[in-house]
Amino acid sequence: MGKLIAERLVALVGILFALLIIVFLLESVIPADPVRAMVGASATREAVAVKRHELGLDKPLPQQFTAFVSRAVRGDLSLSLHTRRPVRDDLAAFLPATLELALAATVLAVLLGGALGILTARGGGTPLRLLLVSGASVPGFLLAILFLLLFYSGLHWLPGSGRLSSSLTPPSGPTGLYVVDGLLHGQLNVVVDAGRHLLLPALCLALAPAVALGRVLRSSLQTVLRQDHIRTARAKALGERRILFRHALRSALNAPLTMMGLQVGMLLAGVVVIETAFAWPGIGLYTVQSIASTDFPAVAGVTLVLGAFYVAVNALVDVGQLAADPRLRTA
Amino acid sequence: MRRLASVPVAIVVTCLLTLAACSSSSTKTSATAAKTGNTGTLHLAYLADMSTPDPDVFYDIEGNTVILSAYEGLVKYAPDSTKIVPALATSWDISPDKLTYTFHLRHGVTFHDGTPFNADAVKTSFQRRLDVNSAPAYMLQPVANMATPDPNTIVLTLKHPVGPFMDYMASSWGPKIISPKALADNAGTDHAQTWLKTNADGTGPFKLTAFNRGQNYELARFDGYWGDKAKFANVDIRIVPDMGTQRLQLQSGDLDVILHSFPVAEIPSVQSNSSLAVKDFSSYLQSLLYLNTNKAPFSDLAMRKAVAGAIQRDSLVQEVYGKYGTPAASSYAPGILDQSLAPVSYPPSTAKVPGAGPITFVYTADESGVQRRMAELIQQRLNAAGFTTTLKEVQNPQVYDYVNDLKNAPDMLLMTNTPDAAHPDTWSRILWGSTGGLNFLGYKNPQVDALLDQGQMATDKAAADQAYGQAGKLLNDDYGILFLANARDVMVMRKDLTGVQHVPNYPWALNLGALGR
Repeated sequence: MGKLIAERLVALVGILFALLIIVFLLESVIPADPVRAMVGASATREAVAVKRHELGLDKPLPQQFTAFVSRAVRGDLSLSLHTRRPVRDDLAAFLPATLELALAATVLAVLLGGALGILTARGGGTPLRLLLVSGASVPGFLLAILFLLLFYSGLHWLPGSGRLSSSLTPPSGPTGLYVVDGLLHGQLNVVVDAGRHLLLPALCLALAPAVALGRVLRSSLQTVLRQDHIRTARAKALGERRILFRHALRSALNAPLTMMGLQVGMLLAGVVVIETAFAWPGIGLYTVQSIASTDFPAVAGVTLVLGAFYVAVNALVDVGQLAADPRLRTA
Repeated sequence: MRRLASVPVAIVVTCLLTLAACSSSSTKTSATAAKTGNTGTLHLAYLADMSTPDPDVFYDIEGNTVILSAYEGLVKYAPDSTKIVPALATSWDISPDKLTYTFHLRHGVTFHDGTPFNADAVKTSFQRRLDVNSAPAYMLQPVANMATPDPNTIVLTLKHPVGPFMDYMASSWGPKIISPKALADNAGTDHAQTWLKTNADGTGPFKLTAFNRGQNYELARFDGYWGDKAKFANVDIRIVPDMGTQRLQLQSGDLDVILHSFPVAEIPSVQSNSSLAVKDFSSYLQSLLYLNTNKAPFSDLAMRKAVAGAIQRDSLVQEVYGKYGTPAASSYAPGILDQSLAPVSYPPSTAKVPGAGPITFVYTADESGVQRRMAELIQQRLNAAGFTTTLKEVQNPQVYDYVNDLKNAPDMLLMTNTPDAAHPDTWSRILWGSTGGLNFLGYKNPQVDALLDQGQMATDKAAADQAYGQAGKLLNDDYGILFLANARDVMVMRKDLTGVQHVPNYPWALNLGALGR
């Protein structure tokens, strides 16, 4: 397992470097002048030149790139051109919201997808399947609008935007995840309120992965349930519950875990749309604002973080597969 | 078996129901808060974060409400007017040579932190704007000397006459007075810029109590305000980047005003809602069509003139804006300069344009859909006249890049802009002066530049206006920029709001201090 983790770490560095090069090349071919936009319409040409020099944007591209990489290695992601703050601080402020949303969506997806897989593997679960599949076949932005119209505007059950009602103060640390921090500080009203804000966007994100997960789980469960060792278990008159959870599910988890890794990666792509619709103050919203102002340092920072996240999730899936299915360890 | 697998479903459903059940209580509390009126909270939304609440760096439109609520300058514009009225200065004298400005300051004013306001505070803030030297610093750069003969007087001496100087002082991006104590306590190495990115300390009717980037900004009434105290106890400005979500929130009563970019096409659907009101205010926002005079085909005056006719401007404006915009009668918005001094008119033509070929056309989009609709109609009409128009949407920073390579820049650009202040110099110089920051497609005319300098240095207003008018006429004869429409500033708000005050030079903003319920 140590070898696997080492391999993944090397891959992580390689992938991040490749990402950096791609983002940098994209930035240099897009014709835009963020400095002019930043200093404003009444600035003189000299003032623009001074600012450009200050930001190091007057140097040749390879030199800008090496400067950027060497600073990035030291954890300095430069100043955002839009917020004029270090990108690192911006990311630290926006990332927890996205993590909380992605985590909640993953939990929902696993619960719903697990239920779907197990129910349909046994030939039932039609109502749940219909509900999930129809939800997942609607594009994310449309689903967001539908949810808002129904649960916020129509029924007034759930809030329509943000992470917390403005009457409440966000809990102070340590994780930045409001539900977790609320629990740690024993502020139940914060936990409930944050949970209510979390529900709609998380559900929007969770439906598609839940269906994908359910489908894969169903087919691998069906295969496993037909195998000899299950028949043996049944012959020994073991309870269905025991057969399913102790014997069938574990060996059927390989494919669903891989699928879940892919889906969590995809989930982050959906975050941009969902965060915009629900005014969720996370990385997606930050990305939208940064792209609109051609804020290269910010876009590069987001790319790095999301890239690292994607690789880490896939490494976790590999480790998870080893833990779930002992047969793989000898392979 | 079924029972087993339904455990996760049961968990999810229970969570949903529990959380949904908690909702009824919270809607009730917001309803009672609304009823308590003057002590309640005003809910606003921004489509995007403001860049920074630092008044010496801030140079955007989104964010005007925060700056103008927390800070004040020496003077300001009266509502719906270009008239300059007292703010932190009660009166002022300008020497006949227009070089010395003496401001008599208001007594009994304190900053949010309790520090008393005086002439030294003004001097400190003005000096900081020059030291920070960001975009809006240009307004104070003509100042040669600042003197404080007594605690309630500040005398500014200029290097040369600056026609729009008083307008700079009244502009929403003009110099604001920041607490000298806050500046000193948080100076750091960058003139307190780090601190002022998330804090504010001025003399305005509201204090900035929280600045959560990407989330919300909170303002609280400043009880030590020198003038009429604000009616709302709190203002909550949320970042809601989706216009559809803002609309839902407005209809649900969670939002009191949509400050800008409401889709014009959907205004009728709001008008049928008895709890909402659509208000439109005069503004200096002008819709502009830039033509690239530096390359074919628009290096040819006849071709530019043909475009002006082929777009059939008056019907175009009517179709896109309806009652929320009128065809521009001059290259200056009404209120900035006498409309007859630089008139524009583009007689419509439906004839084919001889020699019309392919052209590239870009526009900057906005949430209201106005720009896109306008661009598409222009494309249709030009194609009908024989052009082959390639249309593309671009972002603001891309537009700023065109001037670096005009031969490869697009042939036409559609954009809506507003001047820094209600003075012809703040419009003409940046829009069609040869080095102007909004002169995106590089229009150049040395005669125009000479006239602009003549206008700025003139000590007599009539002479100055003549010069600015002449500069506008030259541009109009050249068809370098076509002036399409004077746009209204449109807001949709809850009908029970009172004290709605708007200033044409402060777009997308209301006077929050006067607003009540």
